[in-house]
Amino acid sequence: MNNNEYLQKILAAQILGDESAEVKELQTERANVEKLLRDKFGATPTIRYGGSRAKGTMIKEYYDLDLTCYLPSGSDAAGESLEDIYNNVRKALEDKYYVDPKTSALRLRSKEMKTYKRDFHIDVIPGRFTDEENKDCFIYQKSAEKCRLKTNLDVHIEHIKNSGVLDAIRLLKLWKVRKVLHIKQFVFELMIIKVLSDQKAKPLADQLTYFWTMVKDSNDPISIEDPANPNGNDLSDAVKSAWPELVAVAASTLNTIQNSGWEAVFGPIAEVSKASVVASAQRAAATATSPNRPWCQNA
Amino acid sequence: MKKVWHKAKPDLFRSVAAEIDVGYHDLRVVIENDVVYIRGSFPVKDDSGQILDRFLIEIQFPDDFPNSTPILRETGGRIPWFSDRHVNRDTGEACPIVPEEWLLRSDRASIAAFLAGPVQNFFLGQILFEHGEPWPFGERKHGNDGLFQSYGEWVGAKEPAKIRVYLEYLSRESLKGHWECPCGSQQKLRNCHLEELVELRKKIPSWIAKRALQRLGFSHK
Repeated sequence: MNNNEYLQKILAAQILGDESAEVKELQTERANVEKLLRDKFGATPTIRYGGSRAKGTMIKEYYDLDLTCYLPSGSDAAGESLEDIYNNVRKALEDKYYVDPKTSALRLRSKEMKTYKRDFHIDVIPGRFTDEENKDCFIYQKSAEKCRLKTNLDVHIEHIKNSGVLDAIRLLKLWKVRKVLHIKQFVFELMIIKVLSDQKAKPLADQLTYFWTMVKDSNDPISIEDPANPNGNDLSDAVKSAWPELVAVAASTLNTIQNSGWEAVFGPIAEVSKASVVASAQRAAATATSPNRPWCQNA
Repeated sequence: MKKVWHKAKPDLFRSVAAEIDVGYHDLRVVIENDVVYIRGSFPVKDDSGQILDRFLIEIQFPDDFPNSTPILRETGGRIPWFSDRHVNRDTGEACPIVPEEWLLRSDRASIAAFLAGPVQNFFLGQILFEHGEPWPFGERKHGNDGLFQSYGEWVGAKEPAKIRVYLEYLSRESLKGHWECPCGSQQKLRNCHLEELVELRKKIPSWIAKRALQRLGFSHK
């Protein structure tokens, strides 16, 4: 098996099918979220899938669902200002969820005692359309220099879907997740698309090594622009803050490939099947050399 | 001002980084505001070395590492912050082991040993728990009850009051034969369990006994 066949197998293992337990749970929770928002704000908001689900970049190891909740231009059904909309949507969600407020999104976690803070992998993004065409939208940016951001969901989705480098995006997302790199996923995707714009015909392994090499060898952070608002949204700070970490990990990944091969980066293809996990875990426990019991500070 | 451990002990820091580099390709060492962390994807392996599952983790090194136990957090949002899952509700810190049990280990400065021991055991337990199976090695009771259970095993006692006295004696610089024996016999120590305590002191250094008392909420005398 060559490197590209190996990478394709890694990608195949990251597919989240519509029938998977994870997607079914997401869909159930999505229905709960939509009901909560409809109960509060009626039929007015447009509630849609965004993010990796819509763009086709979802991976099994770290999946999430972006749900946009956009009000029509001129509607004050969820508040007058963008900040009001953000806060009122948050309050509505807090009836059922522990809400973790991010810059523009509201991350939903469980507030039940036994599942407290378990992540539902759902981000709700409140906003308001800029005009009656219902395409461009303003979203609120909490504690950011610019308190509103103009965006366009369809432009973003199309930009990623038609990039021609979806496989590279999914594998680099897996790399980013496993290394816990602090760069916004959308910014990261734009960077990948820009760097690989003239590498689309190359094999996957070449695309990845090219991306890491470009990052490692760039003197300055790679500049990117938001296709939904090329002149209005300055993404340079988002790139700049993540850049040193990205350069260091790209360099170490290239070293790892050189010294130990691709499997040291993305792991073995054959991980234990779900059906035999319990038996394998019990066997692993039975052979543990230093067993110990967990404890908890909370009585 | 006291130097943070990774500056005061550069060789130890290098050895931690090397252990991660060699054994865990998806974990990396990060320093933020002079605090050392390990972050990334932790592979839980079976007895043949195959990956059973992965968890996103963060390990925070205490300022006085290796004289305090590293703090483990699961950062993927998969494990609830609930005592039955051995995660502190207020902080999200996991409790893979009673901290002083780890400090008693001769290899407590090895992060590879921490990952292969308490961390691996903790996540094996989480995998089995998710499938409705019991914890593979059992579990400590929550709160001080679990601490007394653990410390009681060190000293061979069950009653909290006795365990406390044992820990107080172990935390002192030296033992005095005229002290009352902690076993409850009301005899002097020299006529009762002095030899056992002398042996225990070889296994349990006074600073660890002091830590145990502090964790129970008692200040040592």
